[in-house]
Amino acid sequence: MNMNKYLVCVSVFAVALLSGCGSSAKYVETGSRRNVVTVGQINIQDYNQAAEAMINSLLASGVLDRVPNPPAILAISRFVNNTSEQIDIDLLVKKIRVALNKSGKAVTRTTWGLGDTAEDPLAKELEATAATTAGRKADFTLSGKFIETTVHAGRTRQSTFSFQLSLSDARGLAVWEDEKEITKQGTRPSIGF
Amino acid sequence: MKNNCCCKLASRIGRFNVTNNLKAFSTAILAAGLLAGCHIGSVNTVERAEPVARRQLIVDKRISHDPFLKKNLGIVAVNQATTPAGLLQVQIEVLNLTSSYMRFNYQFEWFDANGMRVSTPASTWVTTQLEGGESKFITGVAPNPACQDFRLKLIKSIN
Repeated sequence: MNMNKYLVCVSVFAVALLSGCGSSAKYVETGSRRNVVTVGQINIQDYNQAAEAMINSLLASGVLDRVPNPPAILAISRFVNNTSEQIDIDLLVKKIRVALNKSGKAVTRTTWGLGDTAEDPLAKELEATAATTAGRKADFTLSGKFIETTVHAGRTRQSTFSFQLSLSDARGLAVWEDEKEITKQGTRPSIGF
Repeated sequence: MKNNCCCKLASRIGRFNVTNNLKAFSTAILAAGLLAGCHIGSVNTVERAEPVARRQLIVDKRISHDPFLKKNLGIVAVNQATTPAGLLQVQIEVLNLTSSYMRFNYQFEWFDANGMRVSTPASTWVTTQLEGGESKFITGVAPNPACQDFRLKLIKSIN
């Protein structure tokens, strides 16, 4: 009887242990030091840090306040991806848009894009009906480029990701520009690929 | 017989000496390599003896939970200004008090006049590095004109 009880207890304990140890998945704060860092890829914390630098630079410049009728209207232009990976530019651009929107300094036009494409087609129809903003499509356009530079020396690998952004006004002049570079280094394992 | 024993002893002593010499030599090489590899020098600076710029310094309050950062990462000064757009701008000078390379993360938090935290994508953890003896300015810009206060969080980097 005692032996049976003992076996039951051990079995329950073992099951509990196995179920507890089976998964190593856990939540971590996005962008924190607990995030995975890889050398050859742009990680989420890299986008966050680039966005942080760009937002601070753009807000501190005061260029968005130089419009006759604030807040400034922003349109999103072309972003060139010269890295080895496919990039969704909204990982960077949306953060900047959200920050500018919350600052009250700029709003983004969602009905005007490259090739006559609208981010929000319904809003474009609504705009055509209302026709309230005729003659002022945007005060500024935001464009940019992502560049990757990779070097190897022995077992050490290094990747630099450059985030370059430009804000142009209606005259076609870049009234604000900035660049954020993020460099990461790592070593390949001595055995394996 | 006695001669044979003496030879064996001499041989052992000889081997012992050679082994010891080799050990000492290799230890010295290793130590030199380690020293050369780890310590690549600290930062020297030069600047105007009497700076023209006048920083608007603010009195700060520090709460330390990490003894390593408290001991090795100095907060030299905290100053503030207002941007042309009317946003609060804060600059904190940090100094690596060691002669070794140091990596840490920081994050700004912003608060409105009621002390409520203002959420912004710009409030994220940022990784930065300092060479031995190097000082660096960490700058933050308030996300909107309503922000009156800030808090800077510092933590050791593990990457």
